[in-house]
Amino acid sequence: MKDLSKNSSFLFFPFLTEGIFKMQNEKLFDRIDYIRFKNITKKYGSSFAIEDLDLGIEGGELLILIGPSGSGKTTTLRTINRMIEQDSGSVTINEIDTRELDPVRLRRNMGYVIQNIGLFPHMTIAENIGLVPKLGGWDKKKIEDRVRYLLDFVSLPPDMFMDRYPRQLSGGQQQRVGLARAMAMDPPLLLMDEPFGALDPILRKQLQKEFLKIKKEIGKTIVFVTHDIEEALILGDRIAIMNQAKLVQVGTPEELIFNPVNEMVASIVDTDRKFKHMDTLKVKDLMSIFEDRYMIDASLNACDAVDKMTRSDVETVFVFKDGEVLGQIRMMDLMKCKEENIKVEELARPVKSFKPLDSVAFALSDMKKSGEYLSLVMNSSKPVGILVSDEVLLKLI
Amino acid sequence: MTLIQVIAEVWDKNLMTMRTIEHLQMFSIALLLSIIIGVGVGVYIYSRPKIANTVLNLLNIVETIPDLALIVVLLPVLRLGAGPAIAASVLYSILPIARNTYTGLKGVDEEYTYVAHALGLSPRETLFKVRIPMSLPLVVGGIRIALVFCMGVITLGGLVAGGGLGTVLQNGIQLYQKDAILIAGIWTGLLAVILDAFAGIIEKKLHQRYGTW
Repeated sequence: MKDLSKNSSFLFFPFLTEGIFKMQNEKLFDRIDYIRFKNITKKYGSSFAIEDLDLGIEGGELLILIGPSGSGKTTTLRTINRMIEQDSGSVTINEIDTRELDPVRLRRNMGYVIQNIGLFPHMTIAENIGLVPKLGGWDKKKIEDRVRYLLDFVSLPPDMFMDRYPRQLSGGQQQRVGLARAMAMDPPLLLMDEPFGALDPILRKQLQKEFLKIKKEIGKTIVFVTHDIEEALILGDRIAIMNQAKLVQVGTPEELIFNPVNEMVASIVDTDRKFKHMDTLKVKDLMSIFEDRYMIDASLNACDAVDKMTRSDVETVFVFKDGEVLGQIRMMDLMKCKEENIKVEELARPVKSFKPLDSVAFALSDMKKSGEYLSLVMNSSKPVGILVSDEVLLKLI
Repeated sequence: MTLIQVIAEVWDKNLMTMRTIEHLQMFSIALLLSIIIGVGVGVYIYSRPKIANTVLNLLNIVETIPDLALIVVLLPVLRLGAGPAIAASVLYSILPIARNTYTGLKGVDEEYTYVAHALGLSPRETLFKVRIPMSLPLVVGGIRIALVFCMGVITLGGLVAGGGLGTVLQNGIQLYQKDAILIAGIWTGLLAVILDAFAGIIEKKLHQRYGTW
């Protein structure tokens, strides 16, 4: 905000800025190799917004900045496009200090998405997306093509949405347009400040999923601020945890979960909460539905069993005799004794079984004790599902 | 004689078609000048916040001078004719337009100017692409007030040989022709109402398109 008022005195000397106009349209960087924050400090009065921050961002990764409010995450993000100027330290992009660059030009070289989106209400969707390209001197046709491409990209049919005004769109649709606008100039770097923060939880999940897909396609470097740890774990390649203006830890989600540097990190990634959460879950919530192809008759010989399993595309089956489960058997076990005429009955290994209403936490710890990763879910004497431990974890995260 | 015949006779005798055209000409010039100066002043004081209040207070003082007095004061400078009436209209109309422009520009939600800034719009581009368009409904609201002012003051111009419908009224009063006074008066009022309604429609359209408040 500060430099806004500072600049307003130049309003009536537009000719001064005219000279650098051409320069503003050139691409600063085709790709991001590395962004480095070096000893960044920003103070408001006597309190630190960022204190001595050192952080590197690799080209092509999605780095999450997360922390409680007032932790300095948004301030950090804004030093990248110089919406906030640090008091000391430097931000370098591909070894170029951002303070050596014209801020307007710098900003046009990165996309920016914010929580309240800020689509201009007096412009159509197409005008909103095409605004910066238009100022960059693109011709009409090129802008329209770009707008169509981008709307398509964020799953909004262009013909339906181009001429609408922002208020005619739902929150989720507006946020998609916000993303499209940020990508208008095809910047190699995207800054996202809680882009899904204002959406309701279900919609947020949906957009996160879509964004994950988009992220893979575009291969851009993304710096993403959020306060939602689940979002961070889903989207982030690496996560930087900030607290009280300081960087506490940065690492992949696994590193943070398994090696938190302190209590605070542990409580943010909150593995505890997951387990608490798991207490309330029942086996039936996380099991996969049992299908007949997982069932094999005890009297079958090993070779036939392999054929059958290959045909039905399964690696593990459960052996049944007269409707009673005898155990499980893996394709691998059968392969070993292929030559002999041996019945599957003899090869079956014991299997754990649980009831649908057993708690997942109990089932998982029981499975872990016996080193099993698969178990059967039985309703009275009927198989109804399969519990796969890896899958359970995936569903939880 | 039917009513229509009476009206037609008064209309012809007083050359009211010509007077109406004259009237609208003066009115258009006055309004156009008011808009140019008013918007200019509004944008200027927006960029110089320190003098904004002083300028608005000065314009307020002008506003308090009775219109007839203002026209008479302008007489020695601008002579008889359309000049004093147009000048007085403009002086009155600057305030509502400038004030609304200023308020409109200042009132644009910071959210939008912040985004504009962050997208890489220069301060000038932010002014022309975001601030001015978004304050248009308020500017037009000011113009609408100015329009009514202008209509009234231009009519007074008849007193100083300004021409227009004011002249018809003036003659009517001098010669005590009740018909002429009535018809010219109603017609002038009707014109003002029509123009105001027209401006109202434009304002509403702009609100729908640009309005956020």
